[in-house]
Amino acid sequence: MVRRIRPATVVVMALLGAAAVYFLLPVVWVLVAATKSSADLFGTFGLWSPEPQLGTNLGRLFGTGDGLFGRWIVNSFLYAGIGALAATLLSAGAGYAMAKYPFRGREALFNLVLAGVLVPSTVLALPTYLIFSEVGITGTFWSVLLPGIVSPFGVYLARIHATAAIPDALLESARLDGAGEYRIFFGIAMKIMSPALVTIFLFQFIGVWNNYFLPLVMLSDQRLYPVTLGLAQWNSQTFRDPAFYELTVTGAAVSALLLVLTMASLQRFWRAGLTAGSVKG
Amino acid sequence: MGSKIPRTARLAVIVTMTAALGLAAACGGGAATEPAKNQASGDPASPVTVKFWSWVPNIQKAVDAFNASHPGIKVDLETITAGPDGGYAKMLAGVKAGNAPDVAQVGYDSLPSFLVNGALEDITQYAGDKASTFVDWQWQTGVFGGKVYAIPQASGPMGLYYRKDLFDKWGIEAPKTWDDFAAAAATIRKKDKDAYISTFAANQAPWLISLAQQAGQGWFSTENDAWKVTIDNPDTRRVAEYWQKMLDGKLVKTEADMSNAWYRDLQTGSIVGWIGGSWGDAIIRGNAPKTSGKWAVAPIPQWPGADKFTSASWAGGSSSAVLKGTKHAAEATTFAVWLNSAPESVNILLSAGYGWPSIKDTSQIANLQKDDTVFPFYGGQNIWDVFKEADAAVDSDWRWPPVSDALYASITDNAKAAVQGEGTLVDAFAKTQQAMVEQLKAKGLNVTTGG
Repeated sequence: MVRRIRPATVVVMALLGAAAVYFLLPVVWVLVAATKSSADLFGTFGLWSPEPQLGTNLGRLFGTGDGLFGRWIVNSFLYAGIGALAATLLSAGAGYAMAKYPFRGREALFNLVLAGVLVPSTVLALPTYLIFSEVGITGTFWSVLLPGIVSPFGVYLARIHATAAIPDALLESARLDGAGEYRIFFGIAMKIMSPALVTIFLFQFIGVWNNYFLPLVMLSDQRLYPVTLGLAQWNSQTFRDPAFYELTVTGAAVSALLLVLTMASLQRFWRAGLTAGSVKG
Repeated sequence: MGSKIPRTARLAVIVTMTAALGLAAACGGGAATEPAKNQASGDPASPVTVKFWSWVPNIQKAVDAFNASHPGIKVDLETITAGPDGGYAKMLAGVKAGNAPDVAQVGYDSLPSFLVNGALEDITQYAGDKASTFVDWQWQTGVFGGKVYAIPQASGPMGLYYRKDLFDKWGIEAPKTWDDFAAAAATIRKKDKDAYISTFAANQAPWLISLAQQAGQGWFSTENDAWKVTIDNPDTRRVAEYWQKMLDGKLVKTEADMSNAWYRDLQTGSIVGWIGGSWGDAIIRGNAPKTSGKWAVAPIPQWPGADKFTSASWAGGSSSAVLKGTKHAAEATTFAVWLNSAPESVNILLSAGYGWPSIKDTSQIANLQKDDTVFPFYGGQNIWDVFKEADAAVDSDWRWPPVSDALYASITDNAKAAVQGEGTLVDAFAKTQQAMVEQLKAKGLNVTTGG
């Protein structure tokens, strides 16, 4: 069967193809660059590696400073993973409560949270630092983890989604059947809200992973650094010792790949969640 | 920073305090402590701990050597991100919260802003007698109003790196004056259509500033409690006019230095010279290893009619500053002085590529006499002789403003615009002067101008 291809389709495909190339080229560059020596990095064509030495680079990457890079990766996953999980749970609870339980000051509280969405987290890093240093937890694992469990955007999204997706009648019948409020929340509401929750988790995960300024001011011990801060620190040493270019670029490639893999595996839940929501809706 | 509160209790407090965020924004303000009066060497039985923040590669080795030879003091090094990349913000936050390190790496160009922020400790009583150990202009960068606040570590005196093999092939001698430099640039353009003598790095504020510094009159000074801004002065205008002519004649490239393209050009011989700091040797060696043996270093070209040899230093250099709030100012000073003057330490730091030593007497520094990794790259030349002479020829009256960040941003913006044809370089420096006057006024400081 011959299908006629409409000109509009061709144009759209061409545009999307161009966009894909535009976004993927830097990724390819990083992957290719990860196999080069510092000299080749600047002396050779960006998308081709004449003398690949990926093994050497990886060996140096994970060997420098007693496996510092490995620690940074683990730290990043802990900060972003635990932080995003806790943030998702808190957002779900807060959003659900604001959507389904009328109480005095509810709108004022919600507006306050909305205002929080507009404040960039970088602005809060210094005040948070001053408070944490009063309590004496700057320079610890907690100083980066705790701010990561707060997500005003998550609360906002959870409330909007809960209002739209969870019918009051459903909650009523659950109560009539004798289910307690906690059981309704964990057993019914959370399931219905799962597409929103996965979104919150992904956003918060990326947000914490990419947060640079907060760990910068909080941490002084290299072994607690997340990978972003560690790579930035290596990069600032290239000025005096160009061998750090190899380490920084290879490190960036490895951490980007890991993030892509993580996201790809989490996307599965996202799609399942969306269909679950649409069927019920 | 050991706190005695149990972790669970800390968490409880945190949650409450996070809720009070915003109300508590002004809670920092570490109390200034009287400097300890005990012996600076400390008691070996219960060593004093000195916290040190730096980003110099391999400085840990020097710290280890100090700890081994000073049983009464224990220095804890924490490697942080470089100052301009956030390290300074971290230090200032630490001072405000009262948990800053005792000693920190601070660039000469940033010391004034640290002073204005009240982040430096007066160490005159411990270090006042050390002035004669250090090169005068470097020592002066840590002295304000007759008081000592920082121990100089290293500078970046400027020299001309050039491809001697190509210069020889084209029959060009290393330029002695800026006129020679312009003539050499023109010859190179004729001999090889792909080659340039250097790039005009409009992206590199410290580089642009050092060219102006070398020409004579300074940019900032203090006069009767006011900052005097004199960027738009005759000497700087001469520099601007000179490079404008080089740009108009297409005698220099205009790509950014320390960029991918620039590194490639160093490797391929499209750029055959660089006016750079002493530590730039590592940059060339590391990024263009295949050009080994072909380079040489000459003194920075001179302005015609100069009465004595003058050089400049890339962004000044770097110091070990004792930060406000330290409880061990004496021990911190002992460490800062040892780190930057003991031959053992200077040798270690030099091999880490930290720059040109701040001490006067470099005869004890083995690597400066003979360096088997560096000299062969420059065809056997002892390039350190060139930089030693250059460091001694830096003007000691040059002052940095308390707004170096803004100065750097403003000057690169304006210079880049000039390179793209919006106005001239002379305009660029005049605009930078205006911007600096506004910046200083915005900080509530008194400002006058001159030129």
